[in-house]
Amino acid sequence: MPRHDENLPGNTVLLQGTLDMLILKVAALGPIHGYAIVRRIQQISRDALEIRQGSLYPALYRLENRGWLKSEWKITEGGREAKFYSLTKTGKQQLKAETAEWKRLCDAISLVLETVD
Amino acid sequence: MKWKSWFNRRRWERQMDAEFQFHLESQINDYVEQGLSREDAQSRARREFGGLDLAKEECRDQRPFEWLDHLLRDFRYAARSLRKSPGFTAAAILTLALGIGANTAIFAVLHGVVLTPLPYRDPDRLVLIALYNRTLGYPTSLSYPDFLDWERESHSFEQITAYTPHGFDLTSPGTAEHVDGYEVSASFFSTLGVKLALGRGFLREEDHVGWAPAAVISSRLWHDRFARNTAALGKPITLSGVDYVVVGVLPPGFPFGNQPADVYIPVGRGDSVLRNDRTNHDIVSLARLVPDVTVDQAQAEMNVVQEQINQLNPGTNSGLGTYIVPLKRFLIGDVGGTLMLLLGAVGLVLLIACANVANLLFVRSATRTQEFAIRLALGASRGRVVRQLIIESVLLSLAGGSLGVVIAKFGLSAVVETVPQLPRNENIEVNATVLLFTLCISIIVGILFGLLPALKSSTMDLQAGLKEGGRTAGGHNRTQGALVMVQIAVSLVLLTGGSLLLRSVHNLWAVNPGFDAQHVITFQVGLSASVTTPSKVRVAYQQLVERIREIPGVQASDITGNVPMSGGNEGPFWVGSRQPASMAEIPRAVYYPTGPDYLNTMDIPLLRGRFLRRTDSANSDLVVLIDALLARTYFPDRDAIDQAITIPHWGAARDVSARIVGVVGHVEHYGLNGSVRAKPQIYYSFYQLPDDAVPIFRPAVTLVVRTPLAVSRIMPAIKRAVYEAGSDQPIYNVQTMEELLSRSIWRQRFPMILLNVFAVIALLLACIGIYGVISYSMARRVRELGIRMALGANRRDVLRMIIGQGVRLALIGVAIGTSAALILAQVLQSFSHLLYGIEASDPLTFVGTSFVLMTTAILACYVPARRAARLDPMIALRSE
Repeated sequence: MPRHDENLPGNTVLLQGTLDMLILKVAALGPIHGYAIVRRIQQISRDALEIRQGSLYPALYRLENRGWLKSEWKITEGGREAKFYSLTKTGKQQLKAETAEWKRLCDAISLVLETVD
Repeated sequence: MKWKSWFNRRRWERQMDAEFQFHLESQINDYVEQGLSREDAQSRARREFGGLDLAKEECRDQRPFEWLDHLLRDFRYAARSLRKSPGFTAAAILTLALGIGANTAIFAVLHGVVLTPLPYRDPDRLVLIALYNRTLGYPTSLSYPDFLDWERESHSFEQITAYTPHGFDLTSPGTAEHVDGYEVSASFFSTLGVKLALGRGFLREEDHVGWAPAAVISSRLWHDRFARNTAALGKPITLSGVDYVVVGVLPPGFPFGNQPADVYIPVGRGDSVLRNDRTNHDIVSLARLVPDVTVDQAQAEMNVVQEQINQLNPGTNSGLGTYIVPLKRFLIGDVGGTLMLLLGAVGLVLLIACANVANLLFVRSATRTQEFAIRLALGASRGRVVRQLIIESVLLSLAGGSLGVVIAKFGLSAVVETVPQLPRNENIEVNATVLLFTLCISIIVGILFGLLPALKSSTMDLQAGLKEGGRTAGGHNRTQGALVMVQIAVSLVLLTGGSLLLRSVHNLWAVNPGFDAQHVITFQVGLSASVTTPSKVRVAYQQLVERIREIPGVQASDITGNVPMSGGNEGPFWVGSRQPASMAEIPRAVYYPTGPDYLNTMDIPLLRGRFLRRTDSANSDLVVLIDALLARTYFPDRDAIDQAITIPHWGAARDVSARIVGVVGHVEHYGLNGSVRAKPQIYYSFYQLPDDAVPIFRPAVTLVVRTPLAVSRIMPAIKRAVYEAGSDQPIYNVQTMEELLSRSIWRQRFPMILLNVFAVIALLLACIGIYGVISYSMARRVRELGIRMALGANRRDVLRMIIGQGVRLALIGVAIGTSAALILAQVLQSFSHLLYGIEASDPLTFVGTSFVLMTTAILACYVPARRAARLDPMIALRSE
């Protein structure tokens, strides 16, 4: 149950399912903890994508339960213990498949938009 | 990994908390670094994170095996709720235990007897081969020369082997004991694919005349006589006076045939006269089919082979075909069908039990209306409530199933004890497969009887449910009434089946076996090996019988080589002196070598002529008695007395002529139901046997003793008399003639007993069901009854109304049941020889069972009805 009122104006609401893809993409760069994932996505998208932090963790747990992510407790640079997520083999395949699917979708949509123009 | 997280829930929770905490603190630190005050940073981080508890709950749903947790929680809740009503729970579990237990027991029998493969290598390829007499139309054993021809000429079999049962007197090492065993050909053990525990099977050369006698012994003998010493190999073992060398020991529990066998010796080195005689049919053949060859193909080939044998030996073999049957079918016969029938019957019992428990659940759910209404109102989905109720019923059925396994264990030993003749009964046990079956039916049954009440409860009108509190919505009554009808119908079906079989068994008992079975004891006994000459054997038996006759309480006694109901001793004969042209045309008769007083002891009536006499001896002319069937068949239009018949194989002498001196009544030798075609019968005196035939009877004869005393009272005296006569031989197979008779009808008795037990259980359960439903509907109608009585209805009106309600249900149930029972009766009739002397649609049985059910139904209604009729209208009106 998304709560749209929490999204600031000008930020894009993430499409259903795209959060998973983004998490996988970010985790593919190396082991990373939940807070850093949020930061990284915002950084890369130049704050255009706002992740509702409350929905990040259920997504992480779901991806781990499906076997696409694996987790490990490690010490951070700041000297604290945190749970780091990294991509599994099947996770890599999943990311590849989802990325391809996303590109296909984007291409199709832009094709439609351009034609209509 | 995943499993670990399930088992250590607290650790998992701690880690999740730590992860969330880390996230929030990192965020706060960042904001503080950006210049916010600590309080502002905290509240902003919290706000941006959103609902912490909701996030946690969503994470928990992602925990591996979370569904298992939900399930366990539901089970715990169900157990708690069941514990709260111990009376209901106990009644339901007991009912289910009866139903599931009975099913488990019958399935265990079916599994052990029919489904378990024979304990040999590739048992499905093993077949039994016998000859088939085309002229007279029945299968028969074959001669050893026939077998050797088969072995040489046939190609359908990987291996073919021969065996014939043989009894031995084991005298050394250890004490004297009668042991049963087989003469087998060298390929016997390899054909079955049995690996010996010790030593080897027989060599081909050992299977010929002239070779040193070798024996393979059972694990039991090895244990008892050789103390499990491997040095037993090569040691001698004395069997019926001959020393055999032990060459092999069988694995423990090596089963062959339906009786324990302890000794195996080669068949080929037996008496060479008998073994070379094509008219001596005492061999049964076993073979292993070549892979992919079917029984029909083998049958076709063997018919051709047999035809060649017949043409080469026209004097002995014409008119003979072959008969091939899979070994398993030969061993278990049509028991499989009977067991399927019983499994069906016991399934019906379970159906009744389910209906009862479903009824109980209806009553229970009525009192829980409010609970469900509250749960539904609080947002539980209907699916969730249904799931909860189903879990409760499955929990009940699992508990019932566990108790049922215990009941089944007792039931099984009762079954095996009641019908020791059940083939392969050593395999009957509650094993993993049977337990799996029990588990499956428990779960299925739990869902089955839980579903209906659960669906009803979950679809109720919420508002009415909340308001009404303890009272039920309508509609339950009709469903419950339907369940009672089903119970009555099913009980009627079982009761009818049971009654038909009961009357069949009763009719069988009424069949005159041709002798008086009451007060007759039979047992087997032999003479010690030191009695060597034929004349000494004759004298010794005569003295033995004399001593037994002197025992107070013994009215008559004598020896015989053949007793009714205990296997056959058939041989050929012909009228006059001229032998018929072919073997197949030679009639066969059951032969009874007996002492002169045997017929008197058995009370077999003399119809014409005289009985055998003590003066009929080896020195006088051979005389025989024939039965009425032989007289009628072969002397249809003349007096048989003083006519001659020829008996081939009279010891070494062949074809002796015997004079008929008497005609006696026919005896049902093979059982009472006429399933085996009656054969003519010939009696001759044991004391007239030629010298070379007498030693055959030294190891064992059967004694029949007529006495009004019980077996336990007379046997000690008989044993004393036998040992005083100088015999060191054991007395075994002590049975009364009535036991033999009752065993001969086990195929009818076995389903009869079980079907009636099931019918009684069904009737009892149906009775409880009717009682419960009527009582319950009474309890709900107390107010209505109060009004009726206040308006002038008297006690009798109330009684009539309530019983009328029960009778209406019962009548419909009986109508449905009668039609279903007619179908069952047809099924029973389709089994050969299951029904005897009774029509499948026997009106008396049908009227009788309907009457029993109606009476039961009325009685079950009467108790609650009387209670209702005694109500004080004032109290009734104020109730609720």
